[in-house]
Amino acid sequence: MRALCWNGVNDLRVETVADPEILNPNDVILKVRLSTTCGSDLHLIDGLIPTMREGDVLGHEFMGEVVDVGREVTKVAKGDRVVVPSFISCGQCWYCQHDLYSLCDTTHPKPELQEPLLGYPTAGIYAYSHAFGGYAGAHADYVRVPFANTDCFKVPDGVTDEAALFISDAAPTGFMGADFCDIQRGDVIAVWGCGGVGLMAQQSAMILGAERVIAIDRYPERLAQAEAFGAIALDYTKVDVVEALKELTGGRGPDACIDAVGMEAGGTGLQQAYDRVKQALYLETDRGTALREAMLAVRKGGILSILGVYGLMDKFPLGLLMNKGVTVRTAQQHGQAYVDRLLEHAQRGELTPAALATHRFALEDSPTGYRMFKHKEEGCLRAVFVP
Amino acid sequence: MSLPDAEAAAETRAAVTIGRPATDLRELWLRPTTQTAIWSHFAVVSAEKNGSADWSVSGSAFGTYRWRTVLMEDEPDRLRWSSQEGADLPNTGVLIFRPAPGDRGTELHLDVHFDPPGGAIGAALGKLFHLAPREIVLTALYKFRALAVTGEIPTTDPQPAARKAGADR
Repeated sequence: MRALCWNGVNDLRVETVADPEILNPNDVILKVRLSTTCGSDLHLIDGLIPTMREGDVLGHEFMGEVVDVGREVTKVAKGDRVVVPSFISCGQCWYCQHDLYSLCDTTHPKPELQEPLLGYPTAGIYAYSHAFGGYAGAHADYVRVPFANTDCFKVPDGVTDEAALFISDAAPTGFMGADFCDIQRGDVIAVWGCGGVGLMAQQSAMILGAERVIAIDRYPERLAQAEAFGAIALDYTKVDVVEALKELTGGRGPDACIDAVGMEAGGTGLQQAYDRVKQALYLETDRGTALREAMLAVRKGGILSILGVYGLMDKFPLGLLMNKGVTVRTAQQHGQAYVDRLLEHAQRGELTPAALATHRFALEDSPTGYRMFKHKEEGCLRAVFVP
Repeated sequence: MSLPDAEAAAETRAAVTIGRPATDLRELWLRPTTQTAIWSHFAVVSAEKNGSADWSVSGSAFGTYRWRTVLMEDEPDRLRWSSQEGADLPNTGVLIFRPAPGDRGTELHLDVHFDPPGGAIGAALGKLFHLAPREIVLTALYKFRALAVTGEIPTTDPQPAARKAGADR
């Protein structure tokens, strides 16, 4: 089959590789219908995440049609149209039983690579380096999906492939970030980042009853999409974000702040220059401008919900959190806890993830898609690949 | 709770908690197919129902090492095995089952002590097998936990990749 492979820093190629096979009784094979780029892929492409190997198949956000099933699979059958969260979860361990799916105890095939880094292995993930499991990704004609009874969700009629695609990762990650905010009547939620995850976090905060949602970014098309979703847009290159947030909240500050940016944050000023230099020298992996701003802006006793992907960061002002009594909540997505609900929201038109699909490419042209996505050319919010 | 205090043993000790009763876990551990599956990163193990097993480790620069282990202790909360006379790599293993608090199931504490020829341990053993002793033990426990909880051991071998014959093996 054909697949988009990582061959080194900024070296992506579509190549011919072996087809995936059923390896375990709970596996299925999907014929990929759509897959998409994610901002976290850029960390791999830019070489900020170690333990990638040349030839690894990329892509962790996808949906498709079941074409082969293992002998223990009961929930889905050949021909079903399904969406799959990016983390692989067994559904049976203590973590899965407590809805902490991305922390699953049993799906990491190479735990000895990750245990020294994190203390304990997490769930495996598709196409996110060997330290995170090394599972082959879905920018391909076919992909193997383990634990189909837990990880495959049938897409109901009335939900298009494009809408279902983002319920693989951007939507459940964003929804989890809003869920972390424990939204109460009158709450104002500020979201740093208007990429796929940030926009989904904004729409989710509205679904969960936020009084007002404020969206922060610099790209006009992304801010326009946030406004179309009903958020108040702030361009951080034009306003002092912390002052603007105080103004918009009567001096209280947002009740909760969501960081949907992560380690490659844009920013202005000396701190940004410092981070860029250290990151270039591999002295830290993260530029934390957005996160530090959120820490300063959040109201006293508020919640900081971190969705951005981080590695190592210095100049992390912990005193802001401690002295203001801020609660920090963060995780990789526990998607399996949210997908059914999100499919229902999409079916009712309350969640509109298909709006993220600004650009569509044949799989053969996926390196171009990643280039446009990385550099945000022509307003590219997400590049969608069709095998 | 007492823990073994020998410093040399520390590197080969690991623990996991599994949300299943000790009796089920003990029975699963002693199944010959389980032993073959959970040690596959380290050795080819051919086990028998009575708890004896033939071990073979090859692929290192030093050729193939073989030994046979037998069960020395077989209690509801403890299994202990030891290699027999003539082993290429003498070793003993102890697996202790303890109840975990709350709804968390059972704690498994595994300690495998290798006693390589010449008395060198740790780093030297790592050189022999390209694996640190603690990694050998911890990986076996992680595999066992996956098997006990889900009935399968996670794997990516083989899978698509632009490497040898289009695959990751």
